[in-house]
Amino acid sequence: MKNQRLQEILDAALLEISQASTVEEINNVRNTYFSKKSELMGMMSLIGTLPPEEKKTFGQEVGMVKGQIASAIDEKAKLLAEQELAKKLEAEKIDISLPGKNFAPGSKNPFHVIKDEMTDIFLGMGFEVADGPEIESDMFNFELLNIPKDHPARDMQDTFYIDENTLLRTHTSPVQARTMAAKKGQPIRIICPGKTYRRDDDDATHSHQFAQIEGLVIDRNINIGHLKATLELFAKKMFGEKREIRLRPSYFPFTEPSVEVDITCANCGGKGCNMCKGTGYIEILGGGMVHPNVLKMNGYDPEVYSGFAFGIGIERVAILRYGIDDIRKFYQNDVRFLHQFKKKI
Amino acid sequence: MLVSLKNLKQFVNLDGLTPEEIAKGLTFSGVEVEEITKLASGTNLVIGQIIECEEHPNSDHLHVLKVDLGPKYGFEQIVCGAPNARKGLKVIVARVGAILPEIEIKKGVIRGVESNGMCCSLLELGVDKKYLSEKQVNGIEELPSDALVGNEDVLGYLGLDDAVLNLNILANRPDLLSAYNVAREVGAIFSREVNIPSYDVKADFSTKVEVGSKTSRCSQFSAREIKNIVTKESPEWMKQTLMAMGVRSINNIVDIGNYVMLMTGQPLHMYDADKLPKKELFAEDNHDCDFVALDEKTYKIINGDIVICSEGQPMCLGGVMGSLACAVDENTRNIIIEAASFDSASIRHTSMRLGLVSESSSRFVKGTNHFQASEVLQFASYLIKEYCEGQSFSDIKEYQSETLTDLKISTTVDKINNRLGTSFSSKQIKEALERLHFKVMMNKDGKFIAVVPTYRLDVSGSADLSEEVIRLLDFDNVKSELPCLDTKLGALSLGQQRLRNIRDYLVDRGLDECVTYSLVSEKEADCFNLIHNEEHYRILNPLTEDRVVFRTHLLHSLLKVASYNVNRQNKNLAIFETSHMQSKSNRTEHLAIVLVGQDLSQGLLKKEAYDFYHMKGLLEGVFEMLGVEKSRFRFELIKDHKDELHPGKSVDIIFQNKVIGKFGELHPNKIAEYDLGKTSAVVLEMELDALLEAKVSIVKMSPISRFPSVSRDLAFIVDKNVLVRDILKTIKTMGRGLVSNAEVFDVYEGKGIPENKKSIAISVEYQKEDATLTDKEVNDVEEQIKFELSKIYKAELRG
Repeated sequence: MKNQRLQEILDAALLEISQASTVEEINNVRNTYFSKKSELMGMMSLIGTLPPEEKKTFGQEVGMVKGQIASAIDEKAKLLAEQELAKKLEAEKIDISLPGKNFAPGSKNPFHVIKDEMTDIFLGMGFEVADGPEIESDMFNFELLNIPKDHPARDMQDTFYIDENTLLRTHTSPVQARTMAAKKGQPIRIICPGKTYRRDDDDATHSHQFAQIEGLVIDRNINIGHLKATLELFAKKMFGEKREIRLRPSYFPFTEPSVEVDITCANCGGKGCNMCKGTGYIEILGGGMVHPNVLKMNGYDPEVYSGFAFGIGIERVAILRYGIDDIRKFYQNDVRFLHQFKKKI
Repeated sequence: MLVSLKNLKQFVNLDGLTPEEIAKGLTFSGVEVEEITKLASGTNLVIGQIIECEEHPNSDHLHVLKVDLGPKYGFEQIVCGAPNARKGLKVIVARVGAILPEIEIKKGVIRGVESNGMCCSLLELGVDKKYLSEKQVNGIEELPSDALVGNEDVLGYLGLDDAVLNLNILANRPDLLSAYNVAREVGAIFSREVNIPSYDVKADFSTKVEVGSKTSRCSQFSAREIKNIVTKESPEWMKQTLMAMGVRSINNIVDIGNYVMLMTGQPLHMYDADKLPKKELFAEDNHDCDFVALDEKTYKIINGDIVICSEGQPMCLGGVMGSLACAVDENTRNIIIEAASFDSASIRHTSMRLGLVSESSSRFVKGTNHFQASEVLQFASYLIKEYCEGQSFSDIKEYQSETLTDLKISTTVDKINNRLGTSFSSKQIKEALERLHFKVMMNKDGKFIAVVPTYRLDVSGSADLSEEVIRLLDFDNVKSELPCLDTKLGALSLGQQRLRNIRDYLVDRGLDECVTYSLVSEKEADCFNLIHNEEHYRILNPLTEDRVVFRTHLLHSLLKVASYNVNRQNKNLAIFETSHMQSKSNRTEHLAIVLVGQDLSQGLLKKEAYDFYHMKGLLEGVFEMLGVEKSRFRFELIKDHKDELHPGKSVDIIFQNKVIGKFGELHPNKIAEYDLGKTSAVVLEMELDALLEAKVSIVKMSPISRFPSVSRDLAFIVDKNVLVRDILKTIKTMGRGLVSNAEVFDVYEGKGIPENKKSIAISVEYQKEDATLTDKEVNDVEEQIKFELSKIYKAELRG
């Protein structure tokens, strides 16, 4: 460099830059060298006054020094800014183990989980959901279901009465009769989930209130095989693909033949264990072919139509699925119980 | 129904079948066996004789016995505590290693004396106490002196080597309340030969007794007079059979009545012939009087009860209980046995009303075979002849009002298969029915006639026959096949779907869904009847005082759930339930919500006590989710308070100008009443029906303005009672279409603000659909708004 002073300025500047340790200090360095009053800027303004032969060389040298200082400052400033940010971020470190904001959903009582899930399975098979009152007439709850007054089957179900002809429905089956009355001889494919009541003392396995899902299919040429396949599909969806069902003869006044449906025990897979009392099977529901008298009484010609019906205990299914040991737990609604059932399928 | 297998095998060949196999066969053909029990059990048993009986040196009640166990086992020393142990007595010995129902016998030393075995009572072999005398319970069993020492088949010797099946007889099969019919059923299931005995005790005199019925409730009445009987103890085999079948032995004549009933299903009644006022027995049902029964209690007979009268005096409450007046006792010499058929419903009414339920009444209630009276009387006669020394038998007097004809069902093989989803051949069907003792006349074309056995009261049509076929031929033969039905969309109705959406929404917002009992106590029925006051349904026959009324409101039940949880240290709760409510005038779907304690949704470190606005927001979310426009609902402070909710923090929910529910903070008194702790609680109850069925408009996209909006803030002080809702409404009205939105973002009362005033800050957004707003346009509108606010609400503008 021809100009000794420029060399000195450059050296001094580079030293100061290297010594700057904060963004503030480097900004001060920038101000020192690039303010209008600085020596370097003074030399810049001199360029124009010089004779042409000196102008070129001097101008080039000043420009170069200025450029070098500027880029050294920028580089250092960037470095320092990065360091400072890193330090700041480091200081902002949090305790990541603290609890998150709560976006978790609440819980459905397992009663509702099972009710909704069962409903959805049958909706998927083309069923509709029918509904009926919980305070029912003797007519719908018994008479139209082939259980006339003084029929011994009435003793099977201890009934809460409101008056002689009004009662708390003892099963969801009255909805069968109500639906038949509404559909007036047309084919039917419905389920009805609902609460039912029986005059039982509450204990671990009995409840004066419980719920069922009723199913009813009426059409031409319906047979037991259709009931079996429908329930098989349901059981596999509800309890797992490996489950098998078996039918056992039974008795309900409104179906003939009547069956109890057992499912292979989920605990032992059918080998026999404590849960299934060594039988390999667990009873889950009852059903059968709609009794011709029921069809007749409700306006369907049993020579033309046939149908199947079934009733599944909602709590019973929940008890089996979740291993719930006391039916009263559903109705206590202890949140420590409820919160165990947040999982969706 | 308890069935003794030892008894059963007299009537059906059970060779090679274990009790378990028989139970399984019955269960899978529709007769569930609930339990198999042994009458008595024990291994390593042998009959022994006490040959020495010394006092135990270290005890005042124990004996040291030397017992002869026969040639195989020799002599053993046994320490025994029974008071009746004595030299020469023949006893049941459980040898070392014996397993008895309660204990296992081990070699032992009792107070210093070695003991190798135990002398047993029948109680220790598992025989139920109710069949044993006090002496048998307190001491060891005393065997007859002719018992063979060394005999190891002790249970066989005692007649206790029996297994008992406990059958769960369903209402359609009353015929199985008869051992004979169980034998027929087992025979059918296992294709075994059945051999039901029949008896014929010839009449040797003609009775003067007249029988008949003056009521349609007794369709058949048969009787036989028997002379010179002797009452005494029953034979061992009969006692053992009765014991196995759950009936206590009384004496020969009572036991024969019970035994015949257990075998045939036909209840009998026996009259002391010499005590009847007149030689006649008539069924009547028009008596209204007191009746002293066998149990020496007096019962009130009313019109409709079937009574058997002699000279107009009730001698027996038909099918239920005899009178004391003509009861058979140890002095009875001459009897009349009755076998009748009574109307089930009448017997049911009478026995229920009087609380008299017996083996006999329950058989009549469920239905008896009307065809077998004579056979049954012959059977009883035979037993009386054999075991009561009955010497003289009259002819059988019969009254019959109905014509007994066999029931014939005509149907076809196809009908049977179509109902079952099977493809059984006509041969298979015929054979199955014949095994069940139907008579089948099968045509070549598959049409057939089946004659129903007289005892099968449950079979009346083709559908019943299909059940008979399948329960015998196994459900595994049913082809599992989904029905071919019209393809149809299975879907919830609009209302059902909306209810599901509301429930899912609330759960997704963190609330827990409950289910509670519909029946509440009389007192609870009137708690929190927030919406309407309708007449409740009451239970006529409640079980407990807690469950008497069918609730018409939900909130009380949910508050009880809250209370239950708070008292178990779960103090922060957000719970809800939806349920059907039914009153005498209404059937509605209700929603109730209870929020107690703190809202934890912002995380545990930012808890916030639940207040009015939580519930408001939750409910507004419901409306929005259902697509109900804001203009269709509003909340108004409740006017007539009943101290259930906080008067300044509770509102009516008004939907389409009708109050459909209420929500707000719980009154402090109620918080204390439900024991919810020192906390706030916010509650809601509403009817959902109108919402579930509400018509809402279809969503149509509306264009978003391409032109920028301008946002300006307004801050002012107004009277505390002015509602922000009204101010926002004014701003929008005065906005001349330029105000696109107005929202409150700050409300402040307290320091710096005059008393009874509040400071409100509102952000107003201005926008034009078709052009960019100018400052002047905004300023003009803003001025207008400010002017109106100060005019209407005396608003003092700030800043």
